[in-house]
Amino acid sequence: MCGGLRAGGGGNDVQWCFSQVKGAIDDDVAEADIISTVEFNHSGELLATGDKGGRVVIFQQETENKSQPQCRSEYNVYSTFQSHEPEFDYLKSLEIEEKINKIRWLPQKNAAQFLLSTNDKTIKLWKISERDKRPEGYNLKEEDGRYRDAATITTLRVPVFRPMDLMVEASPRRVFANGHTYHINSISVNSDNETYLSADDLRINLWHLEITDRSFNVVDIKPANMEELTEVITAAEFHPHQCNTFVYSSSKGTIRLCDMRASALCDKHSKLFEEPEDPSNRSFFSEIISSISDVKFSHNGRYMMTRDYLSVKIWDLNMENRPVETYQVHEYLRSKLCSLYENDCIFDKFECCWNGNDSVVMTGSYNNFFRMLDRSQRRDVTLEASRESCKPRQVLKPRRVCAGGKRKKDEISVDSLDFNKKILHTAWHPQENIIAVATTNNLYIFQEKVN
Amino acid sequence: MEYKVEAHRIMSISLGKIYNSRVQRGGIKLHKNLLVSLVLRSARQVYLSDYYSGACLNAAQSEREWDITDTEREKFPPSTTECDRVESSEEPQKNERPEKEREYRENDDEVKSDQADCTSTLQQEQNQNSSQDSVAKVSSETLQETINEPKESPSDSALAELDSTPEANGESHQPPKTHVCSNRKRSAEESESGDSPQKKTKVASSNAKEGEEAEEMDTSNVSNLITIFGSSFSGLLSKDGAKPESEAEDSGQICCDQMLKNLNPWSTAIVAF
Repeated sequence: MCGGLRAGGGGNDVQWCFSQVKGAIDDDVAEADIISTVEFNHSGELLATGDKGGRVVIFQQETENKSQPQCRSEYNVYSTFQSHEPEFDYLKSLEIEEKINKIRWLPQKNAAQFLLSTNDKTIKLWKISERDKRPEGYNLKEEDGRYRDAATITTLRVPVFRPMDLMVEASPRRVFANGHTYHINSISVNSDNETYLSADDLRINLWHLEITDRSFNVVDIKPANMEELTEVITAAEFHPHQCNTFVYSSSKGTIRLCDMRASALCDKHSKLFEEPEDPSNRSFFSEIISSISDVKFSHNGRYMMTRDYLSVKIWDLNMENRPVETYQVHEYLRSKLCSLYENDCIFDKFECCWNGNDSVVMTGSYNNFFRMLDRSQRRDVTLEASRESCKPRQVLKPRRVCAGGKRKKDEISVDSLDFNKKILHTAWHPQENIIAVATTNNLYIFQEKVN
Repeated sequence: MEYKVEAHRIMSISLGKIYNSRVQRGGIKLHKNLLVSLVLRSARQVYLSDYYSGACLNAAQSEREWDITDTEREKFPPSTTECDRVESSEEPQKNERPEKEREYRENDDEVKSDQADCTSTLQQEQNQNSSQDSVAKVSSETLQETINEPKESPSDSALAELDSTPEANGESHQPPKTHVCSNRKRSAEESESGDSPQKKTKVASSNAKEGEEAEEMDTSNVSNLITIFGSSFSGLLSKDGAKPESEAEDSGQICCDQMLKNLNPWSTAIVAF
């Protein structure tokens, strides 16, 4: 009935409650406000979102008040900055969208925070730092910055730091440009904390965080003759612990695991994960719905999860011929594929995520529904992110979709689903049962119910 | 039959998506266009296989047509004429009239490349209609009727239009791109055997019932689609005012040609990449 085990133990079922919602309330959604990526940092203290307008908004969790355990920590805006601007490629006469495709945090090494954000063509490393002191008492400058007349200086003093209102600054430290001919779909920071990969439709590049003018191409699936193109890369990720291992998924529903120790160019995979197609499900759209939209390693590095249009699959890295678990996200859509093709919904790229202890996975659906799939208890639940359930600490009620036949009370029929309300991006706090769910232009934060 | 209608509808939708992808912000999305082209091929295969089973309409008249087309095919082996046909695809913006027609031919080649079976059929037709005036005229007349054919109609009808244009265009070709050429040759050879019967039956049936075909075989849907695409696209490029709603065969043909340019973007996109 409910999803989400407390990370670190406990077998109690938890209930999810509304915590916060960010973003404009009105139904008229400005295209620039459409959220395109959501990511917690490694501690979970910071939550970053990117949108179609190229902006990044970072929320920070308030320090919990230990004396009041009932008081939940809330996420408030910490920093907002324009990461990418629209560009124009003059050679190809193409506009490059400023939409942020992915954000990935770097593990924290000092007081500042670093994240990578990318649009279709350019990856940027941003430093987010706090400033809460400023120097005062310069000898040669006034407080407002104007230079003093040297003749008027009769004494010397030592400038001192004085406290000021907290200011959070975001500055671009590196710009990794011109590495990709095709549209970047993934970035992934390596566990060595020095390199990261970026993947576009046909190539994967390996970058060093310090070096912007060159990158290594590690995977290239571009055919010599583009007319022979049959598949593209859809997502890629580094293994969480093994810095030599990464995986990439394809539009044909396969996942390839590559070991960078094997050769410089990883066109030959070390492992190929593929499930044979079920011939009874063959249709015009079989190829589209088998295209993998997201791949994520589990935190422990033993499994990986893939999301295709209708299902979530968990793969054991040691077994290539089939997934160990398969969950149907919205099987009731299988009979509607033609309509979904017409309205382009079949091309929607849903993401998926693991909870902190890899016992539950989450992914989005339509009608602002999202699904929690409990692996250990073999249960699943459908919840909804809606403005109707926005009272503080309101418990989310499980939703049910009626595929056909008689609709029971409280069920919603497939034809009533709103396909414009889609949840493509979700994120799970690395340690706690706090989830961030992005609807079109709102970010919902749900937390585990605390009794 | 319903499979045929469904497949036809999916083909139309797919073509529309490929066209729209060209004007979308951010450039052509390779992944989506690849998926759409796969659907287009699947739908086409279903559509044609279905057509196959119901295609034996006018056996007697077919034979006559088949003889002509067979002769043509013998005279113009795919390899040579294909290579002549291949043109650079990177210049779809030529606006001058004489060049435009040649470009329709070029675009025709491009169109073929991104529709697997369609490719070879078209090329065969084009091969047969290429150099020799007299033969071209005959085949062009027969092929002109195929404008109203629902199957592969964008390409076919454009082809017909090409053939009805002055033969001079057939002679002035720019040097082909070798690798593209060889690929077309391969695809033509591979599917030659499979597709020639289709083409024959098409020519046959169209010749048999010109006017009636236009109405009976539900061509209006695709023709409409073509005209709408053609007119709007022409608005972008050449400012030629082909009316979108016109059902007249002439403007329909012109629009079909322009539709080829719209079909071009995918392969243009691929090749440009």
